[in-house]
Amino acid sequence: MGGSLQGGIMTRAYKPGSIIYFENDKSEYIYILKSGRVILTYTKIDTGEELKEEVRQGEFFGVKSALGKYPREETAQTIGETVVLALSLSDFEKMILKNVNVVRKMLRVFSNQLRRLNRTVRTVLGDSDNVNPQLELFRIGEHYFKIGDFTKAIYAFKKYMEYYPDTDYAKLAMDRIRTINSGGTAADSMPVPGQKKSAPDSFDSFSMDDSDGGFSFDDSPPPASGQKGSSSSGFSAGETGSSSEFSSEIDDFLSDSDDDLGDFSLDEPAKPKGSSLQDVYNRAEASLEMNNYGAALEIFREVITRASPSKPNEKRLFIDSYYNAGVCSFELKDLKGAMNYFAEITRSYSDTDKLKGAMFYIGRIFEMAGQGEKALAYYNKVMNMRPRDSINSKAMDRIQALQKNR
Amino acid sequence: MLELDEKFFGRFGAEYSPNQIIFCEYEPGYEFYFIQKGRVRIARIINDREKTIDVLMPGDVFGEMAILEEQPRSATAIAMEHVRVLKFHRDNFDALLQGNPQLAYKLLLIFSKRIYDAKRRLMILLLEEPSLKVMDVLIMLAEQNPQYDFESEISLNSNSQQIASWAGMAEADAQKELTHLTRVGKIDLYEDRVVVKNIRDFQRVIASKRKHMFS
Repeated sequence: MGGSLQGGIMTRAYKPGSIIYFENDKSEYIYILKSGRVILTYTKIDTGEELKEEVRQGEFFGVKSALGKYPREETAQTIGETVVLALSLSDFEKMILKNVNVVRKMLRVFSNQLRRLNRTVRTVLGDSDNVNPQLELFRIGEHYFKIGDFTKAIYAFKKYMEYYPDTDYAKLAMDRIRTINSGGTAADSMPVPGQKKSAPDSFDSFSMDDSDGGFSFDDSPPPASGQKGSSSSGFSAGETGSSSEFSSEIDDFLSDSDDDLGDFSLDEPAKPKGSSLQDVYNRAEASLEMNNYGAALEIFREVITRASPSKPNEKRLFIDSYYNAGVCSFELKDLKGAMNYFAEITRSYSDTDKLKGAMFYIGRIFEMAGQGEKALAYYNKVMNMRPRDSINSKAMDRIQALQKNR
Repeated sequence: MLELDEKFFGRFGAEYSPNQIIFCEYEPGYEFYFIQKGRVRIARIINDREKTIDVLMPGDVFGEMAILEEQPRSATAIAMEHVRVLKFHRDNFDALLQGNPQLAYKLLLIFSKRIYDAKRRLMILLLEEPSLKVMDVLIMLAEQNPQYDFESEISLNSNSQQIASWAGMAEADAQKELTHLTRVGKIDLYEDRVVVKNIRDFQRVIASKRKHMFS
């Protein structure tokens, strides 16, 4: 073998059967075949089989390992008298900067190799490669939707609608976006046709994205019983410590001043004769729906006075009225009044489905009163309470808003 | 970091706010990106869980597969903070290369590196015994840093979760193997790093295993 210098680039001549480099050698030279023949021998890593490939005249070889600074992946051997050009990395760089077409060709080869390798890696890992990208894109949206990462869900659904506008799923994607925009969550909306997993499964491990400002939730599974309105909402049973801690905070809040507290039950309600309790309640609810809080509050109070929580058929109306009276008071900016109603629910009716809403409002009250830390504690509780519905996502919104303002 | 002509910032610059998706797994992709500012998280959803595959820094490129092939994105790119990128459409690629041969060279470097990393990962995954997989991950991590002296102790800044992910194993299984290696005195295990006493020893074991793998 002989060598000669040619403007920094070496010309090397090899005898037949010479090895230019061995597999696993380390070297930063890149070669161009000038004349003669070169055979590259690879060992296929997944089967151990040997592959041979002949370099054509004018072609580069040894590029990847030199550029990536890793060991040679193949052995290069000559057949017959052979002349190659050996380029250092900087020679190579100078050369290709003048010939972008060569780079483009190399990039195409490299990107094919990478794609193939990644496919093999996925196969070995057991990821199915046989997927329908259209459906999978929708599923990405569903994933973020279910965990309540709505920014990302909206992105995926919008992209889905953009790329696949005339499909059934596009309509569903639009429905999802509407649900998100109206403050709803996965629990409120229709299921995906043909999807095997039921929504509650995917709620088992709820965690917010940790890139989301370093805020994350406990991943531990909730108590086993998940029925609506049971104490599985994670506040009462087994958490007496934190529960009483919360109660004392509420007491603190209420005793903050010597305002007259909770005069709600003392007023003599205007008792419309002959109307059933349910009718009265319905009237109150209608007023509430029209944002007529003052009127609604009056009527809810009436239901509270008339109804007896010990009677099974009246208990429901009693508690709902309690809760809604709290909502009305809150909307009327009567924070203490609202706190009384909601606190009573957490104390006496923590086994009902109104507990979560009450907790959320207590958070709101603390927030309005400028006690962000306490508000956060309540929102956090709400976040982890089941079943997950729009209240959970509202709590999350409040948490994010509070954290942003810190 | 890549130095580009000033005019490119105006033409190709794009900005993203924290937690914003830049592109989404399975979305058709026609653009690739150079990070100018901020970090970008690359993630995939595996078994209903979002897994972070990589965190990219200013100067890094992503979405480069879109340059030459029409394939959906293989992962989701998410801005971790305020991110500024240069975004190139494949249709502009030729013009871009002509005007910026430096970029072409950089892309070749990136592809070379990624191909090797994928191949190295595949070699680990193809080992059958969990103990060997973990050992080979440690070797790979050591190889990645040319500063290491393989004749003495090597301290790797990786935790068991990262090692498990490279080995394609559950974290508990990887932890079990690491505990075993600790017990037999081959490594010292810390929360955020692993100290390998004799990496040559591991290399011999793995090399011998590979030699006989197909015979």
